[in-house]
Amino acid sequence: MKTLGFYRLSTLRTAILGVLMALQLILGRFSFSPTTFFRFSFTFIATVLMAVWVGPIWASVASALTDIVGTLIMGSPYFVGFTISAILGAFIYGVFLYDQRVSLVKVIIAQVLISVIVNLVLNTLWLTLMYKTPFWALLPARGLKELVSAPIQIFIIYIILKNTTIRTLGRRL
Amino acid sequence: MDKFIFGRFIPGESWVHKMDPRAKLLISFFFILLVFFANNVMSYVLVFAVLISSILLSGVSLGFFIKGIRPLLWLMVFTVIIQILFGAGGHVYWSWGWISITQQGVISAVYILLRFLAIIMMSTLLTLTTQPLQIADGVEELLKPLKKIHFPVETLALMLSLALRFVPTLMDEATKIMDAQRARGVDFGSGGVKQQVKTVVPLLIPLFVSAFNRASDIAIAMEARGYKDGLNRTKYRELRWRKQDSISGLIYVVAGVVLLFIRN
Repeated sequence: MKTLGFYRLSTLRTAILGVLMALQLILGRFSFSPTTFFRFSFTFIATVLMAVWVGPIWASVASALTDIVGTLIMGSPYFVGFTISAILGAFIYGVFLYDQRVSLVKVIIAQVLISVIVNLVLNTLWLTLMYKTPFWALLPARGLKELVSAPIQIFIIYIILKNTTIRTLGRRL
Repeated sequence: MDKFIFGRFIPGESWVHKMDPRAKLLISFFFILLVFFANNVMSYVLVFAVLISSILLSGVSLGFFIKGIRPLLWLMVFTVIIQILFGAGGHVYWSWGWISITQQGVISAVYILLRFLAIIMMSTLLTLTTQPLQIADGVEELLKPLKKIHFPVETLALMLSLALRFVPTLMDEATKIMDAQRARGVDFGSGGVKQQVKTVVPLLIPLFVSAFNRASDIAIAMEARGYKDGLNRTKYRELRWRKQDSISGLIYVVAGVVLLFIRN
């Protein structure tokens, strides 16, 4: 990790973060359902690329902003907890994947941390705080979903980060 | 894939439409906070009176609000059913083993349903009456105080404008790539899990490459026009706080104070 602070961004990195924020807003729409009962979206890949290209700090503020503006634009209820989740998710990806050799183990650790801490515990907690949905009743259903989606996410992240084209792009930064 | 409409803004000329986005953002956050405080019949009546008068003032038809509820429907049904079945206290209507429907359970289920409706309808109202770009400007202005602690508000605002500008373009791009891959025989959305994941990669890699190339073109063009990070630039789009923003804000604050008195 080079730096934790808000280092000054080059114009190129500013533009790339902007475009990746647009992709974060879009990719939610390209969801696919491997099995009938759950949908799976690709937003996390835009977050991963942010984390890999500009580091944890900038990636997390950019994701936070996408979360705030995205929810407001799409008309879903805004709750600050989900912004915290977005920050944490991007930060964890950044810590494990920014400025270092990508290995399958790192991807797995990062994704498992995010799936368990952020998606499972925190996001369920936010729903409980917001709508009084019973925490322990919701947890198993969401846990099952994470159990299916985490391996898929690990697989996709690893393939994309190992892809030569994407790595060439990274070197242009 | 459903047709993508970015934002769900409905043009109009009403009181709510003409309000400053900052005022609308602050009011909606404040309203959500109010809903958390409501805990008896009178307080919910007050919350809905304020909400429904705002909706009437916006002149948007009710059908749009019902559409806004749909995405959260499963969570609503789930929460309400759990509350009814496992809520304890008061008169017992029916019980079977450890499941029982009680008076208290039904009452709290109704409250939770109302809470859901109020929060969702308010967020929908904000979305329907404010353009995405205005929302972005409003959020930016509200983040301005963070500049004091060296938070890079201006750079973030720039990223956000870029993002909003490129949502439709990249969306078209994604559709084009999908069609191009389809024309070469990729079959999206069929086969097993592994097969489906494999078809996604030929969609994503070109999308990211094209996004990257676009970004680098923009960066060069921006620099050619004299962009430099950290310069104090002026603003072309400026928000104006009008009298009706203050009036609306005041009404909500008064409602908030009244609510604090009638809740128990």
